[in-house]
Amino acid sequence: MDQTHLELLQTSVYTKLLAQEVQNGMNASQGKSPEEAPDPGRWLDDHGDYLFKYAVFRLRDNTAAEDAVQETFLAALKAYQQFEGRGSERTWLVGILKHKIVDHFRRVVREAPLGEESDEGPEHREFFERPEPWQGHWNTNYAPNEWHATPAELIERNDFWKVFDDCLSPLPQRTASAFTLREVDGLKSEEICEILSIKVNNLWVMLHRARLHLRNCLELNWFRSEE
Amino acid sequence: MAVKLYDKLKHSIRYRLLRTLPTCQQTVEKISQSMERPLTLRERINLKLHLWICAWCQWYMEHLHIIRETARAKANEPPDFVSGAGLSNEARERIRRRLTNQN
Repeated sequence: MDQTHLELLQTSVYTKLLAQEVQNGMNASQGKSPEEAPDPGRWLDDHGDYLFKYAVFRLRDNTAAEDAVQETFLAALKAYQQFEGRGSERTWLVGILKHKIVDHFRRVVREAPLGEESDEGPEHREFFERPEPWQGHWNTNYAPNEWHATPAELIERNDFWKVFDDCLSPLPQRTASAFTLREVDGLKSEEICEILSIKVNNLWVMLHRARLHLRNCLELNWFRSEE
Repeated sequence: MAVKLYDKLKHSIRYRLLRTLPTCQQTVEKISQSMERPLTLRERINLKLHLWICAWCQWYMEHLHIIRETARAKANEPPDFVSGAGLSNEARERIRRRLTNQN
């Protein structure tokens, strides 16, 4: 068989495969269409734990996370026709959950409007208290030290995430939410400002205070006690 | 002799810089902002010079990046590896009841 024949043959095989795939895809989407009832009980068994962990890591509140998971399943039942079997079921559910989490943040901040400056988080001036002429430079009691850990190692340590969680909890709700949306989910500034109804300058102050606080807290409660 | 002179010079440059540059308190705020927006040329020069003479702020910046990288890696963790407790039995049953009522 010469080269052209081979290529021709391959092309026709590909075309057949492609046609088959399209057919399968259509069957799958037909299979998921309204005739077949969705099975929320199975969703709960298959994805409940994962969705809960996903939510609790971001909301840091068991009840709020449980609510978000329940709302996700309820919304999924309503929107089932739109799913049509494209992509994985879990990805679809996580997509809904993300919206529910953002809704939760929105609700919380609506109930607590930004007032005092201290609402943005602790300033930690004591970190930089020093006698002149060094006022404003690191006080040696709080100055950063070297960390002996990489993200790859940290991610595996469950006790690290416990400390991480505890360190975020004293922060005002809105500041902690801003931190999570930015550093965990990597949302853009404009999106976060819109969700939390704040100006970009407020956001920068909040992120700065959250980082200042969290870094110190992690160093004290994790990195130093690890040595 | 030459070495001694060099050390003296270095020390005095460092001292001068620390006295004239923004303080650590101002610098850590810029470090945080550098993760949010492009700094102006002046801010960048001041930050570079400050980091050149201040190990504490160097570490501070490194730590902020470790925290960000770790948190984002955690957020994208493959489902099978996600640790921590799942739904409590009570919550699971409550959600199950709610879902069956819905049907």
